Amino acid sequence: MATTLSPRRATRSTPAARRRGGGWVAYLFMLPYLVIFGGFIVLPAVYGIWISLHDYDFALPVKPWVGLQNYQDLFSPGSRVYSEFWESMRATGIFTVLSVPCLVVIPLGLALLLNRKFPGRTFFRAIFFLPYVLGVAVIGLLARYILDPNIGVVNYYLGKVGLSHTIPWTTDLPWVWVTLVGVTVWWTLGFNAVIYLAGLQDIPPELYEAARMDGAGKVQQFRHVTLPGLRPVLVFVVTTTLLASANMFGQSFLITKGAPGNATRTAIAYIADEGLVSFRMGSAAAMSYVLALFLLVVSLVVFRLFREKEAA
Amino acid sequence: MTTVQETRTSRSTSPTGQSGSPARGPWLSRTAFALTLGVLTLVFLGPLAWMFLTSFKTQNGATQLPPTLLPHPATTSGYHPLLNTTSQTPVIHWFLNSLLAGAANAVLVTVTASLAAYAVARMEFPGRRLLWGMVVGTLFIPPFLFLIPNYIIVSKLAWLDSLWAVIVPSAGGAFGVFFLRQFFSSLPHELEEAAMIDGANRWQIFTRVVLPLSRPALSTLLVLQFLTNYNDFLWPIFVLFSPAHLTLPAGLSILQGAFTINYPVIMAGAAIASIPAIVLFVIAQRSLVESVSRSGLKG
Amino acid sequence: MIDTPTSPLSRRRFLSLTGGVGAAAALAACGGTSSPGGSAASAPQASDTGSGGQEYSGPAVTLAFWNGLTGGDGDVIKKMVNEFNAQAKNVKVTMNIYQWADLFQKLPAAVKTGRGPDVGILHIDDIPTNAARGIIVPIDKVVTALGLQESDFSPAVWQGGVYKGLRYGIPLDIHPLCMYWNKGVLQKAGLDPEKPPTTKDEFMSALDQLKGKGIQGHWVTPFQFTGGFEFQSLLWQYGGDTFDSGLTKATFDSDAGVQALTWMVDLVKNGYSPKNVGQDADYVAFKNNKNAFNFNGIWQINDLKTTSLQWGCGPVPQIGSKKAVWGNSHQFVQLHQNSPDQHKVDATRYFINWMSQRSAEWATSGKIPARKSVAESADFKNLSPENALAEEATYVHFPQAAPGIGDALAEMYTAVNKAVLMKSSPQQALSDGAKKATQVLQDNKKKYGA
Repeated sequence: MATTLSPRRATRSTPAARRRGGGWVAYLFMLPYLVIFGGFIVLPAVYGIWISLHDYDFALPVKPWVGLQNYQDLFSPGSRVYSEFWESMRATGIFTVLSVPCLVVIPLGLALLLNRKFPGRTFFRAIFFLPYVLGVAVIGLLARYILDPNIGVVNYYLGKVGLSHTIPWTTDLPWVWVTLVGVTVWWTLGFNAVIYLAGLQDIPPELYEAARMDGAGKVQQFRHVTLPGLRPVLVFVVTTTLLASANMFGQSFLITKGAPGNATRTAIAYIADEGLVSFRMGSAAAMSYVLALFLLVVSLVVFRLFREKEAA
Repeated sequence: MTTVQETRTSRSTSPTGQSGSPARGPWLSRTAFALTLGVLTLVFLGPLAWMFLTSFKTQNGATQLPPTLLPHPATTSGYHPLLNTTSQTPVIHWFLNSLLAGAANAVLVTVTASLAAYAVARMEFPGRRLLWGMVVGTLFIPPFLFLIPNYIIVSKLAWLDSLWAVIVPSAGGAFGVFFLRQFFSSLPHELEEAAMIDGANRWQIFTRVVLPLSRPALSTLLVLQFLTNYNDFLWPIFVLFSPAHLTLPAGLSILQGAFTINYPVIMAGAAIASIPAIVLFVIAQRSLVESVSRSGLKG
Repeated sequence: MIDTPTSPLSRRRFLSLTGGVGAAAALAACGGTSSPGGSAASAPQASDTGSGGQEYSGPAVTLAFWNGLTGGDGDVIKKMVNEFNAQAKNVKVTMNIYQWADLFQKLPAAVKTGRGPDVGILHIDDIPTNAARGIIVPIDKVVTALGLQESDFSPAVWQGGVYKGLRYGIPLDIHPLCMYWNKGVLQKAGLDPEKPPTTKDEFMSALDQLKGKGIQGHWVTPFQFTGGFEFQSLLWQYGGDTFDSGLTKATFDSDAGVQALTWMVDLVKNGYSPKNVGQDADYVAFKNNKNAFNFNGIWQINDLKTTSLQWGCGPVPQIGSKKAVWGNSHQFVQLHQNSPDQHKVDATRYFINWMSQRSAEWATSGKIPARKSVAESADFKNLSPENALAEEATYVHFPQAAPGIGDALAEMYTAVNKAVLMKSSPQQALSDGAKKATQVLQDNKKKYGA
C-alpha cells in the first residue's frame, strides 16, 4: 500500500552484501514470522475455502459436503440468505459511501486549521486525537447514551434551541446513518488529521513563496501547491479509510444493533451472526470471500482513478 | 516534525497562515479562528465530560429530563459493581488484559517482523521473490476473511477464551514486515559492509548495526500495532468469554448488555476504561502522534 | 430451492483440482468432514449414566456453573450458591454470569474446546439446539431421583426440557411477561391506581384518558425486549401461533398475527405511544413517570423495588379473544465433557437437585416456581407481587422449540421491529419475515435432521 508513498527509491543493494548469508540463514531469520504467517494467514485463507464448500458446524460430527451451494445461495433470490446478505452488503456500501468523503475532507480542514502557529497547538491536536485512543467500545457506549431518542441529552438540547427534540438518532432511517457516520468521524478524524498534518509540514515553504511571487491567492495556493504536495498522503488516507469503513462493525453493533429491522447491520456483522451465532460457518465463509472480492475490485478501481489523475 | 518546524524561518507561513496577509483585519480572523477551535473543543470534550459526570449520578438522575449537568445527588454507586474484584464485571482486570495483550502483540510483531524484514531486505535466498510477493499480496486481504477459519483453528489449538487468541493470530499480518523492509532498504550499506569486513556475522550485524539505526521505525511499529490491537473489537468479542479473560472492548460490550439502562454503571465502566488510556495518551502523546503520522508518509 | 440438484462440484473433483492427495490430507487434518477426536459423540443417542444426585459422597470437587442471570437475578443466585457452598462438604461451585445471547454463542465453543462448565442454566428454547449439537447431555436419572412428576408441572414447562425422548433440562421457574402500571401517573390522569385495566376496552379507555392529559400511556418498543414478547402474547391471544405444530412453517403472519401487530402499530400511529422508542426506553420512561403501562418481564420486579416509585404489577390485559401471555423458563442443564469425570457428574446432579428444591427462594428474584407444589406453598403465596402473577402460569405460552429455532425467531423480531418503526405495514413485515423464517426452519431440518 505504502510503496507509492516512499519518498526515496531504495538504494540497490550491492551483490556483495546480498550473496553472503546464503539461503538457510535467511530462512532462519524468517522462521518465526513465517510460522505465524503460515498458521494464521495462509492456512485460514485456504481452509476457509474448504469450509465454505461444506455445511459446516464445528460442533456437529457430520459436516456435509455441499460444493458450491453456499455460493449459489448468495446469488439466488429466494434463498434463505439472499435478501439478508445483500441488505447487509448495502448497509456496508451506504456507510462506506457516506463516511469516506467525510473522513477524507473534514480531517484535511482540521489539519489546515492546526497547521498554523498558535499557542496550545499541540494541546488541540491531542484533543482531536483523543477519541481514537479510547476505542470503539467506549465511543459506542457513550454515543448510545447521549443520542438516545427519548432520554438522550442531545435531543434535549436540540429541543431547547427550538429544533426537533424527537430525532430518532439510533432507531430510524436516515438518522441512524447520520449517527453512525457522525460518530465514526468524531472517533477517527484525529487519526487522519495527524497524517495530513505531517504531509503539510513536508511541503517545502519555498513553493508557497514562489506561488505568492506569481501572485497566487489562498485558494490557488491550496490548489496548486498544497493538494499536489499531499498527493501521496491522500492516496494513503483514501485507501486506509475506505478499507476501515468497509470493515465497520463495532459502531452499529453497539449503537443501533442493526435497527431499524436489519438496515444498519453491516456485512461483517451478518457474517459474524451467521458463522458464530447461528453456527452456519460454511455459509459465513462463503460470504467472506464474496465480500473480500468486492473490496478488492473497489480498491483496484480507486487505484486506477488515482493513476489516471496522475497521468493527466 | 516539530524540529522541522523550528528550522523554518519565522517569516515563512503555512498555507493558511494569516500573518502573510494583512489585508483582512487580523483581529476578526483571529476571533473566528478562536471561535472555531472553541466549538470544536466543546464537541470533542463535551461528551467525555458528560460521561464522567453521569458516572457519579444515580440511575434515575442519569435518565431524568431535563438532565442536570452536575450529579445531584452525587454517588459512587455506579462504580461499585466494577471495582469489586469478585464481580462479573471487573473493569480494571479487563484493562490490564487489554494492556497485556496489546503490548505482547506489539512486541511479537516487532520482533518477528524485524527479523523477517531484514532477511528480505538484505539477503539473497531461493524463493525470495515468490515469498515476498505472497506476503505483500496478503496486505490486500481484509481481516474478516480469516474470522471463521481462524476461529476454528484457534478452537482446535484450545486458545479460545485465553489471551493467546488475541495476541498471536494478528501477528501474521504483513504490515509490520512490509513497513520495516521499506525502512531497512533505505539504510546505507556502508556500515553493514564495514562490520562484515570486521568479521561480524549476520546476527551481529542485525543486532548491533541495523536495529540501533532503526529505533524510530521500531518504536513507530510498536505504537501502531499496540493501538490496532487495543482497538480491535470484532475478534475479541467472539473468542473470549470468561469475565476474567476479557479485554476492554469485549468487556464493555458485555457491560452494555448486563446493565442495559443502568447508565451510571455503563458510563462508569467507560470512564474507568478511558482514564488509563487518557493518562497514557497524555504521557506518550507526542511519540504516538508522530508514529501515526509517520505511517502515512514513510512507508 | 430446497431440493437442489446435486452440486456440480463434487468433493473429489475439488480435491483433484486443488492438487490431489497432499492437499486432501492436509485439509482433512485440519478438520474436514469427519474429525475423529474432539467432536462430540452424537448426543441424542447417548444414554444417561451416573447417579440421580440425592447426595454426594465422593472426593472434593469444584464445579463451574455458567448462566445468564444478570442484574437482580444474579444477586439471588449468588446468595443461593453461597448457601450451597456453605453446606456442601465436598463440592464447591464457582459461578460465571453472562448475557444470555453471549452464553448461547460462547457455550458451544467452550464445551467443544474442553473449557466448558459442568452445569448451566438455559432457556427452554435453547435446549433443543444445544441437545442436537451435543453441548448438553441427558439427565433422566435426576428426574427419577428427584421424584419429579409431569403432573407437578405445567405440561409446557415439563415438555420443554425434553428432546427426542430424552430429558436434558430440569425446570426451575416460569417467567412470564406481565403488566406494570405507574400509580402516580394514573392518579395524575384521574384513573384508579388500584384498578388496572384487564380487558381491551378498559385498557383503551385508560389510554384515551391519559392521552387527554398529554401522557403517552403505553410505549411500544420495536425490540425483542419487550416489543417482541408483547407481539407474541397478542398473537396467542388472537388465537395464532408462531409456527405450525411440526415446526416446518412459520405462521406468525396469520390473521391473528396481523391483528396483533396492527394493534401495536396503531398505538404508535394514534399517539398512545411515541414513535421510534429506543431499546429499554419504554421502561426508563415508566420509571421517569412518562409512561403509565409497561409490559415487561416479571424479572423487573426487583429492580422496581429499589426505586421510590409507586407501582403495581399484574397480568397482561386480554386484548385478543383468549387469555395468553408470553413466558419462558429457566432450566438446569448438564454440559457435555470431552473426558467426563464421574465424580463431577455426580456432584453436578447433587447441586441441581439441591437448587431445584429451593425454587421458592429463587422465586424471590421475580419468578414463578416451576413446580406446582412450590407455587402453591405458603412461601410463594406470601411473595408479593409475584403471587399475583401465578394465574398467568395457567395460560402462559413458551416459545416453540426445535434445533436452531433462534434464527427463525430472529426473523419474527425483525418483522416486529420494521412494523413498529413504520418501515413497512404489519402485513408486509410479517409475511416477509415468515417467508424467511420458513426457509430457516427448512434449513434447520436439513442441518439437524427432522
